[in-house]
Amino acid sequence: MKILSVAFLSCLLLAGFARADIAVVVTVDSPLRTVSQNDLINVFMGRYRRLPTGETALPVDLSPLKARFYRALVDKDLAEINSYWARLIFSGQASPPLQMQESDEMLQYIRRNPGALGYLDAAAVPDDVRIVLQLSERQAP
Amino acid sequence: MIRLARLLRRRLALRSAALTLLAVALLGIASLTGAILVSESRERGRQYERLEELLNTVERTVQIACFLDDKVLAAEVANGLLSNRIVGHVSVIQGSDVLAQGGPTDDRHAGNRPLERAIMSPFVAAEQVCSIELTPDEQEISRSVMRASLFTGIVLTLQLIAIGIVVVLVVLRLIILPITRVSLRLESLAPESGEKLNTPPGNRDDELGRLVGSVNGMIDHLVTSIHDERTLRLQREVDERRFRSIVENVETGIFELSSEGRMLSANPAFRRLFNLDQALDLDVQDLRFAEFVGEEKERVNTMLVQLVNYGRPCNIELKLETGEYPRWVSVLLNRFEDDRLQGVANDVTERQMAAHAAEHMAITDLLTGLGNRRGLMKRLDQSMRIVQSDPGYSCGLVMLDLDKFKQANDTYGHAIGDRVLQHVAKLLTDLVRQADYVSRLGGDEFVVLLEGTTRREAIARILDRFLQRVNEPIRFDPDIEVSISASLGVAILDVNAQSAEEVLQRADSAMYEAKHAGRNCYRFHPSLG
Repeated sequence: MKILSVAFLSCLLLAGFARADIAVVVTVDSPLRTVSQNDLINVFMGRYRRLPTGETALPVDLSPLKARFYRALVDKDLAEINSYWARLIFSGQASPPLQMQESDEMLQYIRRNPGALGYLDAAAVPDDVRIVLQLSERQAP
Repeated sequence: MIRLARLLRRRLALRSAALTLLAVALLGIASLTGAILVSESRERGRQYERLEELLNTVERTVQIACFLDDKVLAAEVANGLLSNRIVGHVSVIQGSDVLAQGGPTDDRHAGNRPLERAIMSPFVAAEQVCSIELTPDEQEISRSVMRASLFTGIVLTLQLIAIGIVVVLVVLRLIILPITRVSLRLESLAPESGEKLNTPPGNRDDELGRLVGSVNGMIDHLVTSIHDERTLRLQREVDERRFRSIVENVETGIFELSSEGRMLSANPAFRRLFNLDQALDLDVQDLRFAEFVGEEKERVNTMLVQLVNYGRPCNIELKLETGEYPRWVSVLLNRFEDDRLQGVANDVTERQMAAHAAEHMAITDLLTGLGNRRGLMKRLDQSMRIVQSDPGYSCGLVMLDLDKFKQANDTYGHAIGDRVLQHVAKLLTDLVRQADYVSRLGGDEFVVLLEGTTRREAIARILDRFLQRVNEPIRFDPDIEVSISASLGVAILDVNAQSAEEVLQRADSAMYEAKHAGRNCYRFHPSLG
């Protein structure tokens, strides 16, 4: 069923006439109920080390969704994002989010850490994580 | 300095060169100043443009540094900016904090407004994360302006010098040299011989050509004038010699007087007329015309005053020598110019003498040499005039008619008659005094005027003696003897006489009375007391 839905959604996206949302999620154990897009940018771009609720922020990038996510979040492509981080490696003041390949792996990491923040396709959010922000994708890929 | 001034005054080429160079220098300074001002403002503008470009280059990195408050990254950016010479000072300001800054903050940049740019968040469009200020380096601007200005200045100066040299050369070639050539030629020109200036080739139709044409025209004119003048002078010399010869040789005295009557000049004829030495120099001797005329001095002086004061030309006849050989000179004087009198003097003695002779003839009876009727009337008029001014004056008038003269004439012929008349005339002349006047009116009629004699006795004594003598027979030839007698009438001319005719009439009527009384006697007119 899940796979069907994903395939269906993918088909819709490929057809280019539908838009999917990306959901930003935390573990249900997290005190964070919701987060603004600006706070989310600050966390993911390395500006804030902590979440508004006080936990150390642990943002996670999910590789398959990364391009879509950053397009939705800051309207930039991956090359720009990579160039951004490349500059910061020099000073070492900020570090990029943790990179994950699989959503399951990411979900497990989220469940383990209350400060972790990840993102999923809105259609594939499991019950044991909480959606704190839903990003709408403005453009077709 | 003085020599330079003198050179400038004497050389047109130098003067025009100096003026051109001065103008060029002033223009150069003005242009250079303008160029420096323009290039400074342009250079400043360019510096700001370059600063803007630098800012564009580092903007993204600054965005990131500010976004993350990354001082290390900000300082790195600032250092990078400061490595450009045009950047004087950099500061990255986040709110009230300074994230990074570099470069000296002294007064060197005081005059320059800093270039400020707001830096936005790299991810959120509306969020300003910091601002950056770039201040240009004033020294660098000045250096750059200097370099640009120096180049402009050198180019400009070279150009102006070249223009100056070209102007001077053109002036020299086109104006000074032709003028100098014309001037040199003019100095050595002999215009009297008809020589003229040549128009410099190539200047035929321009101002220099016209100048040469004008000079040639003037030379022509002058030569003609000089020639005319010379001809005129020769003509005048000839005329003068001619007039001098006339004046020297003419028989008319010609002379000049000053307005005071001083002799200024006199020709030989004048000197002869007035007995002046021919060698006398009138410029040296101060002689007055009035001194030459003897008794006529007063008249001459009056005439001179009239002439000088009223300018009337006057003619006067002067009797120079009295006595046996009187001389008459006619003088005509005219005013000439303001203070000179010109005079002509002619010897009119002969004319005067002829006039006198003619006058004498007119009043003389040719046969007897006595006065005629005309002479008598003239004398009577004279007496009448005297009586009018001197009532005490008087004279006796005797009218005489020969008796039987007609018979004698008829008998012996006219020649004898004439001789009888001459005889009577002689008798009468011998009887009266010098002052008395004897005249024959015509035929055998005589009139005697006895000057101042009016007393009867005196007249009677004279007439008795006359009758006695006239009665004596006159013998002309041995066989011709003529006896005559006369009848006489006497009247008096005095203050009571109305006219000469009246007195004559009275004498005539008294004479007729004598004839009625038997002739050969005399009668007094009843008016005699």
